[in-house]
Amino acid sequence: MSFLRRNLPSMLVMGIPLMWIALFMLLPYGIIVTYSFWLKKYPTFIPAFQFGNYITIFTDPQYVRVFLRTLKISVLVSMASFLLAYPFAYYLVFRCRSVALRTWLYMAVIAPLWVSYLLRAYIWKTILGTEGVLNSFLMSLGIIDEPSSLFLYNQFAMVVTLTYIFIPFMVMPIYTALEKIPTNLTEASADLGMGPWRSFWTVTLPLSLPGVAAGFTLTFCLSFGDFIAPFLVGGPDGNLIANVIATQFGAALNWPLGSALAIVMLVVVLTIVSLSDRMERKGMTGGV
Amino acid sequence: MTIKKTMLGTLSLLALTASPVLAEGTINVLTWEGYADPSFLTKFEETSGCQVNATYVGSNDDFAPKLMAGGGVYDLITPSIDTTKLMIDLDFVEPLDTSKIEGWNDIYPKFLALDGIQKDGEYYGMPYVWGAIAFMYRDDAFDTPPTSIADLWREDLKGKISLWDDKSAIYVAARKNGDMNIYSLSDEQIEKAKQSLVEQKPLIRKYWATAGELVDLYKAGEVVISNTWAGYQSSLLADEGIKVTEFIPTEGAEGWMDSWMVVKGSPNKECAYKFLNMQLSEQGQCGVANVNGYSVANAAAAKSCMSPEQYAALHQDDPDYLDSLLIWQSLGDRFEAYTNAWNSVKAQ
Amino acid sequence: MASIIQLENISKHYSPTIIGVDDVSLTVEDGEFVTLLGPSGCGKSTLLRMIGGFEEPTAGAIRLADKDVTFDPPYKREVNMVFQDYALFPHMTIGENVAYGLKTFKLDKDTVRTRVKDALMLVGLYDKLNQRPQQLSGGQRQRIALARAIVRRPKVLLLDEPLSALDAKLREQMQIELKHLHEKVGITFIMVTHDQTEALVMSDRVVVMDNGRIAQEGRPQDLYDHPASPYVANFIGTTSFLPGKVSALSGEVATIAAGGTQITAHPNAKLGEGATVTVGVRPEKVKLLAEGEAADNVFEGTISEVIYYGLGLRISVTLADGSKIDADTLLPDKLSHSTLPQSGAPVRLGVAAHNVFVFEGTVTP
Repeated sequence: MSFLRRNLPSMLVMGIPLMWIALFMLLPYGIIVTYSFWLKKYPTFIPAFQFGNYITIFTDPQYVRVFLRTLKISVLVSMASFLLAYPFAYYLVFRCRSVALRTWLYMAVIAPLWVSYLLRAYIWKTILGTEGVLNSFLMSLGIIDEPSSLFLYNQFAMVVTLTYIFIPFMVMPIYTALEKIPTNLTEASADLGMGPWRSFWTVTLPLSLPGVAAGFTLTFCLSFGDFIAPFLVGGPDGNLIANVIATQFGAALNWPLGSALAIVMLVVVLTIVSLSDRMERKGMTGGV
Repeated sequence: MTIKKTMLGTLSLLALTASPVLAEGTINVLTWEGYADPSFLTKFEETSGCQVNATYVGSNDDFAPKLMAGGGVYDLITPSIDTTKLMIDLDFVEPLDTSKIEGWNDIYPKFLALDGIQKDGEYYGMPYVWGAIAFMYRDDAFDTPPTSIADLWREDLKGKISLWDDKSAIYVAARKNGDMNIYSLSDEQIEKAKQSLVEQKPLIRKYWATAGELVDLYKAGEVVISNTWAGYQSSLLADEGIKVTEFIPTEGAEGWMDSWMVVKGSPNKECAYKFLNMQLSEQGQCGVANVNGYSVANAAAAKSCMSPEQYAALHQDDPDYLDSLLIWQSLGDRFEAYTNAWNSVKAQ
Repeated sequence: MASIIQLENISKHYSPTIIGVDDVSLTVEDGEFVTLLGPSGCGKSTLLRMIGGFEEPTAGAIRLADKDVTFDPPYKREVNMVFQDYALFPHMTIGENVAYGLKTFKLDKDTVRTRVKDALMLVGLYDKLNQRPQQLSGGQRQRIALARAIVRRPKVLLLDEPLSALDAKLREQMQIELKHLHEKVGITFIMVTHDQTEALVMSDRVVVMDNGRIAQEGRPQDLYDHPASPYVANFIGTTSFLPGKVSALSGEVATIAAGGTQITAHPNAKLGEGATVTVGVRPEKVKLLAEGEAADNVFEGTISEVIYYGLGLRISVTLADGSKIDADTLLPDKLSHSTLPQSGAPVRLGVAAHNVFVFEGTVTP
């Protein structure tokens, strides 16, 4: 009794989050894992323990193809986000002298996060469309004679849209990482004879790698699980793995296969996350 | 670590979905947009004392997952004739007491004869509206109007073609290949249809998933030819001032028919039947015809509440038209073969 | 000795009202250890950073070995800096940190290895070659920072408050080490500090700065014995100030009314009779007089406070005219409470004439 009284507060403190995890994380995953071994049988599916769904995923080329396509899109989105976000964050941290301008620019990147995802994706539809803003602009400049349909409903449009939507998740960790680098380290590098470029490569970039890794992880995982961009701006070749999963749970009424796909996807994402976790931790021991 | 947690947290949140609240004298319907339109529903609510909460689906594929998530939420649903059988087989719906439905005998016999809405001599679905999966083109894009499904495979229309993102794409491709038994295709025929769709893929601008999306594609000048839910999208486009023409290709068109079904164990039977009666009456039949532009199932009601022009335009007086349609059928255990083929096309 | 650094009328004005450094000229001889001393905000760090190339002066010129480097970036100057918090690269080992500055010299591997080893041996930390900066103590990092700068064999080594992050004991030890290192390597050192002891212990020459200008420069003992202003007198060592008036002048000797008595002093500046002055006396030059004991100048007053500080006592005395003066005294061999000065007791203080500073005007330091 006294044991209980003494430990009740700590049991509550620990218990609530543990229950939360059990209820909202372990239970759903448990259900998904269970389903993934079930068998599709008209009209729905029946309990079973077999690996047919997993075998299908790795033998039917359509799933491998979509996995690879999703991987490609996610990598491209992460790369594009990185190439845009890094110079931007670098400018904000090291070159932008006005605090007001820096705050303003930072907010300009972050603010779209408060706008509905759908709206932001729709915006790109109007920009990239055949009669869209980009085409009108290029035609008014005389660069093209007639509207091009090359911008919308293809993988390019998906990469552009996803990059736009997820770039805040690249900017934020890189900005934080760069901000944490003491200015005297770059000064020390210059003092030791290194020009600005070499200082960047040998000091700033390596020290910001944990932020880059975090940014890559976030944008990659978010893109990897996206199913709205393919729907809105993707073309006939835009199906991503999340769309396939949605189809299996909906149209195909094949929850076992859908669950197996979700598990495979989860494994891919967790692998990426733990790889980057390790990289960040490594960066941390070498970090500031 | 934080990333991992956030993501897992988000995923688990998505696992929870909100459900409508149950109340006395209230019926919850899971249906298509327009089927519970205020233009004719408000009057029903006033006279019957029954409240109607409508939840809309975007696809026939939404019915099963929504009902599988747990019973007791919805009272009435309106799946199409290719999905009704699944609802019955899943034991989601209960037999109708047709004696309680006025005007039952005025329903086109062709619909009452359909397999998909009955089982063991009992009716499970009340035919409501019907139409064709016609084809549609933008007038200003064609000098010679297209007449064939093959026009959706024309190289010169590359990047201007759209097709419904649905297993019905297999039906379209099969007919193009001369396979008219579209609801009982063999594996070889499905494979052939799949190959045709893969060939067509580079010509496709976008597969359309919702009615609104197809309208947008025409409006934005992205697409000039596609299949369509006859009467619906063309009228929306007409409202936008975009001239399109629907046509039934020489290979024929599929027909669809939506039926009201009562969800098993619905506690609000009285209101449910009041609602069914209203929907099959002139109030419901002309109501939905005016909102969605679909043809209706009750011939007698249509005749008395429609103008002669509308009556003709909706092919209500044209038994041949109805007969020419390849009315959707349940695919039964062949369903997976069709959806798998279509998914495989999209994965290409 | 040749001059290695020449600062010619260097100014750094951030805005017309915000002035970092104001018209400073200074020449540093080759091999000298010069300290810029002053409170924070006096411009000493800014001056050092301009020599290092991290900031540009708004006026004036900087010459390094007779070459104008005023606007050269840091990586083109043959000077190296030891930063206040060392600025060691956390993602590199100690060896890589030290070798970093040699990369631009395009030396062969063996030479680099030898020079890194020599530099680390010099600071006694060669065994830390493969460790990371985070694994070292503050004092060790300090030495690595030194090694990293020295390995480049710069013409001038700049040290920005190099010891301020260390605790008191370590700081004292490092002062001596730095001084020895300077003697060993023979490079010119310019150090910035706000700690007068550091400045006095280590430097050949101290430059006291005040509000962006040089208040006084000179050898430590010159500054200590002959401060040019109450500011310097107060910043270096401790000084009690008494208001006074010149009552008579005779050659080098002035008679001044101060502290309720007439005192004699040897003022540096030319003063007129009747001029208002401030008299400064260092506590350690004030002697508690025994009865009948004589001195050049004798103040009489009452002890207001006695502070014990181990090595001795500091006695605060209120003089007849109300002004205050401090006297330091070592504790007598045989401590006896009866002989210790007591608060409230009358006391006589003696100060030699050559230990009296005389400054013009009234000053509240």
